[in-house]
Amino acid sequence: MLEIKHLTKTYGDKKAVDDLSLEIKEGEIFGFIGHNGAGKSTTLKSAVGILNFDEGDILIDGISMKTDPIRCKKDLAYIPDNPDLYDFMSGIKYLNFVGDIFEIPSELRNDRIGKYADLFEITDDLALPIAAYSHGMKQKLALISAWMHDPKLIIMDEPFVGLDPKSSHLLKEMMRLHCDKGGAIFFSTHVLEVAEKLCDKVAIINHGKLVKVGTMDEVKGDDTLEEVFLELEAV
Amino acid sequence: MLRTLLKKQLFEVFKGYFYDAKKNKMRSPLAIGAWIVFFFVIMVGLLGGMFLGLSFTLCGPLVAADMDWMYFLMMGGISILLGCFGSVYNTYTALYLAKDNDLLLSMPIPVRKIVGARLLNVYLMGTMYLLTVMIPMDIVYLMVSGVSALKLVCLFLLFFILSFFVLALSCLLGLFVAKISLKIKNKSFVTVAVTLLFIAGYYFFYFKAGFFIRDLLLHAQEYGEKIKGAAYVLYLFGLIGTGNIVCAIGFTVAVSVLVGFIWMRMLKSFSAIATATGRVKTEHYVEKKVKEKSIFGAMLSKELARFTSSPNYMLNCGLGILLIPASGVYFLLEAGEFMPLINEAIGERPQCATILVCMALCLLSSMNGMAAPSVSLEGKNLWISQSLPVKPWTALSAKAGLQIILTGIPMLLGSVMTAIGADASLGERVLLVLMPMVYVLFSGILDTVIAVKMPLLNWTNEIEPIKHSGGVFLAMFGGWAICVIFAACYMFFGYLVGNVIYMLIWTVIFAVLSIALAFWLKSKGTKEFAAL
Repeated sequence: MLEIKHLTKTYGDKKAVDDLSLEIKEGEIFGFIGHNGAGKSTTLKSAVGILNFDEGDILIDGISMKTDPIRCKKDLAYIPDNPDLYDFMSGIKYLNFVGDIFEIPSELRNDRIGKYADLFEITDDLALPIAAYSHGMKQKLALISAWMHDPKLIIMDEPFVGLDPKSSHLLKEMMRLHCDKGGAIFFSTHVLEVAEKLCDKVAIINHGKLVKVGTMDEVKGDDTLEEVFLELEAV
Repeated sequence: MLRTLLKKQLFEVFKGYFYDAKKNKMRSPLAIGAWIVFFFVIMVGLLGGMFLGLSFTLCGPLVAADMDWMYFLMMGGISILLGCFGSVYNTYTALYLAKDNDLLLSMPIPVRKIVGARLLNVYLMGTMYLLTVMIPMDIVYLMVSGVSALKLVCLFLLFFILSFFVLALSCLLGLFVAKISLKIKNKSFVTVAVTLLFIAGYYFFYFKAGFFIRDLLLHAQEYGEKIKGAAYVLYLFGLIGTGNIVCAIGFTVAVSVLVGFIWMRMLKSFSAIATATGRVKTEHYVEKKVKEKSIFGAMLSKELARFTSSPNYMLNCGLGILLIPASGVYFLLEAGEFMPLINEAIGERPQCATILVCMALCLLSSMNGMAAPSVSLEGKNLWISQSLPVKPWTALSAKAGLQIILTGIPMLLGSVMTAIGADASLGERVLLVLMPMVYVLFSGILDTVIAVKMPLLNWTNEIEPIKHSGGVFLAMFGGWAICVIFAACYMFFGYLVGNVIYMLIWTVIFAVLSIALAFWLKSKGTKEFAAL
């Protein structure tokens, strides 16, 4: 579903991501962990076509992000770590905007908006301007906009930040369901307990380089993910 | 601490002059110098030159009539109007809508220092405009009436009085706008409507200024007596500049008290207003059938929603929407009369009125520049259009499209009315519609190119990309310069080919340039936009 091949991205003289390769297959929830500034967000932003990269390639369902970014973006959804949405729109206008971009028929769009807005309990707030939303509500709106076009791949940067416990639980269920239906999820997190319980595979990045990748059992063995992470950080 | 805050404020306002956001580095000293020179040429050359002329017109006759005080009353009044004009929303947005208000309020910074830094910024901006009137006013007066130490002291105090009075007035109006903004619905449109009334009044006086000045000079004594009888305080105000130290000190004390009072009032209300979220309509979502849009349609609607959500955006980049049809009505009713008079007055170019009217329409079109700040306004939302399956070309053409539509429709109305009312041949009438319409297309694409080439994405207040960015400055003044070149070329040699051919040539030039710019935008511009 997602192949990252020898990705290298530099900011000036600094290599934010250095020769990173990963593969995320259908049905996988793939966790991406690393310290602040390790290169997680840069990798995710490169994977969704926001950032141009210096070397390597990124393939979505076999199609290169470099050569056909629009085709790739049609199959994915992205949620950034801080969902700065259009403050000048209401929640429903934003969702309809996304619906128009992904050419979702209006009836299907309404069904999905209704379903997910009810699940996240923000249906009543959809008519309000986004400027009046809390961080958590913006996060919920961004999640609905990601799920409403039923993408093959969902890429999320710290998706649990700002969500209340109920919504966090709901999101985990939605992630699992999405992958059980054949989709894939690639997300970064600092909450190692969540990664440990939720992810099928995990990758650890340190100073732009991939230091460990594999199934959860392969990565952590008999230790906890936290112990492995701290051990790798210390090296 | 105040110095740090002020430095931050000023850097935000003039960031575009020092910092190249696209290359993410400071500009070279040469580029900074060039930008500053350009800025001063516009401020000093254009505004200062205009007020220098006005000062010469008023000063001599009034001083000769021993009515120096009337000169200072007139010029002082103009400087207050100019200083306040545009500062109202500047005060409102700079003080209450800055995105870093929460951050600064959470820091161990006394509120008075935050307000102080913000007000100092407003003061400097207001004073900048004020000085374009005051410097010519003072120089001309000293040239006409002679220099003395007392006059210099009083003129310095007059500067203090006027600049702080402008600040006080801007603050009061800004506070008023902030208070009503928290209460009213559809505040963007209400704000625009109120401002337009203000602007209409401003332009009414501006266009009538010649008549008022002539009338004033003819009946100076009579008006002087009336002012002394009905508003003696204005007479005393006028005396300050003439060297009356008692009046100067009296007004200095009065303005100091006023500023002190407003300062206390603002300190008291700042935190509450700056952190208020305003009244949110308790409107519940009701599911209804949505009208599907194309991707371009969705992007265009988004641009329109952004435009109509911000009074600043509408007022600074969309005044032409109203002024073009308004001028069309004026030309429809009056062009038949004044065009022959212009042709007669400029006897060497007996058909130039058509060209000047055409230039006027294009000038008004340049007042619409919603595309110029549109890329900058994406700011922190840029990730949305970059991560969605939207071609950069679609995003950019929506930006250009909004400007072309919002200018093209009024221009069609305005130019057709002008063509009907104009004293011109059939060919000229056709081109009076065609050329401005092609110019609208050209300026829409040009402004989008400017938007891509000069983005300012890291702003804390939307006023920065809308009002203070180099891109918007270039779009408006560049547009005006092109219009002036169009008329100037006619005056020098264009008249030789006749009006129809001349306008046709420019129509073709604008069309070719539009195609060339659109081609650049589609090939290189899209790459630059995607790489932001």
